[in-house]
Amino acid sequence: MPFTPKSGKFNASINTVEIGTGDKAVKIGGENVFPLYSFDAPIENAPKVGIEITDFGMEHELECIKKYYEGCTTLAEIAAKAASMEGVDFLSFRMEGGDPNGANKSTEELIGELKEIAAAVDLPLVVCGCKNAEKDAELFNAAAAALEGKNAVILSAKEENYKTVGAAAGLAYKQVVGAESAVDINLAKQLNVLLSQLGVDKKSIVMNVGTAAAGYGFEYVISTMDRVKAAALQQGDVNLQMPIITPVASETWGVKEAMSSEADSPEWGSQEERGIDMEIETAMAVIAAGSNAVILKHPESIKTISGLMKELV
Amino acid sequence: MAKFVTIGERLSTTAPAVNKAFTTRDPEPILKRAKQQLDAGAVYLDVNIGPAESDGEELMKWAVQLLQSELDNVPLALDTSNKKAIEAGISVYNRSKGKPIVNSADAAGRIENIDLAAANDAIVIALCNGEGIAKDNDERMGYCQLLLERGLEHGMEAEDLWFDPLFLVVKGMQDKQMDILECIKMFSDMGLNSTGGLSNNSNGMPKHIRPIMDSALVAMAMMQGLTSAIVNPNDLRLMETIKSCDVFKNNTLYADSYLEI
Repeated sequence: MPFTPKSGKFNASINTVEIGTGDKAVKIGGENVFPLYSFDAPIENAPKVGIEITDFGMEHELECIKKYYEGCTTLAEIAAKAASMEGVDFLSFRMEGGDPNGANKSTEELIGELKEIAAAVDLPLVVCGCKNAEKDAELFNAAAAALEGKNAVILSAKEENYKTVGAAAGLAYKQVVGAESAVDINLAKQLNVLLSQLGVDKKSIVMNVGTAAAGYGFEYVISTMDRVKAAALQQGDVNLQMPIITPVASETWGVKEAMSSEADSPEWGSQEERGIDMEIETAMAVIAAGSNAVILKHPESIKTISGLMKELV
Repeated sequence: MAKFVTIGERLSTTAPAVNKAFTTRDPEPILKRAKQQLDAGAVYLDVNIGPAESDGEELMKWAVQLLQSELDNVPLALDTSNKKAIEAGISVYNRSKGKPIVNSADAAGRIENIDLAAANDAIVIALCNGEGIAKDNDERMGYCQLLLERGLEHGMEAEDLWFDPLFLVVKGMQDKQMDILECIKMFSDMGLNSTGGLSNNSNGMPKHIRPIMDSALVAMAMMQGLTSAIVNPNDLRLMETIKSCDVFKNNTLYADSYLEI
């Protein structure tokens, strides 16, 4: 009997969300198959890769990152340089210094920096906060206004601040709203429900369902993403059909495999290679589990993942 | 696997207000009831125009077009003993939100409604009943086989035959209730879809008791594998029970607001 292959495509699909404007705008999501299953049906939008910079510029970066930004003195120059790296689809600006328990930079200062960056690049923008929910609400409110018309991603609204962030980013300034949960599938769905009930268009929501560096509780990350995609596609759950953006760099560059110097861990070999490896492995694993975009830092990782996506999809 | 399918039963000529609206072609009361049911979470709406012997075709077309044009192509179950009216309704039916349901065929006088559904690529409710109420599950499953084979012979997919065990009233047939639940399990074991007029169980009971009985029965029936029911979606207790059972059955992912969606 001849073998008749059966397509594993679904009637449901992940929402297509466009970020940015003009020629450089990118689309994420849209697939009606499991991640990278392009043999079941064409995947129109390959997973996208963003590059991360922070308000600290190169101040806190490792030497292996700094060397790529030689000669850059202002944030605008750093942003322009980052945007020019091979394989970069969008730029992510993390307002790390806003943390009240850290540098506690003012909202005005950070939004000023955000505007400088927005003026220096034409790539789609993703804005990340300082991880303090209260301060983030204030920062995102101002960022959504400052980037009006840019169709940026505000990453992201959490359970504690979704009303403020959703209202500013989703309703008032028509940005794309990120919904962030920390490896908690029920909360991931709940946040999408709450944002929708607030009036945010489901097609203007993306999810950050949480991540970790590979090896650090990572199996929960993968099973969460698997389960999200299964519910979205197999069960047609409209409250989980939002594409996933995963900030990888902020996790992988903080673990000992990437941080420990060659002097401290000579048996582990080159620190730069370790950092790149962690970033690539984590990024590829979350893409295989369903992330529609990843945010990375090292130009070598970005080039590799971007190249892989071109080959695979 | 798939979420439980609720078919809203409130558009029926047995309700005097609806009967009058159908007779006078008055859209307002019909749309109002339809919206109430959809807002409460109904997936399909049953459109019961009664026997409608004189003007059934024209009436069913009117009702289908009215409901679908006003309510985003809501999927419908066409419910009448007038076959030509069902066909007329299907001729103007928009399938973008789901196939039409023919309500219903049985193993006696209405068996040809299976052929009608097959010819029109519709779903059919297949009542496992001949003349009079089946005496036991052997008889019910005999009818089930007969109806299933008839559908398959006419080119239907088994999934488009939704088998109805015929829910029986507790007051008078209390001793038959477990038979019905076992019958649902047999459908489920065969991989078949099922549905039925579940609230029949509580006929004749005080108004405040009926939601309790209906909720208990729907939970037991879903445990047995019931995949759909014709219900009053504006019965909050019943709908909350169905949504909760969908969570336990892993048909839908839990979120704190699950009762609101």
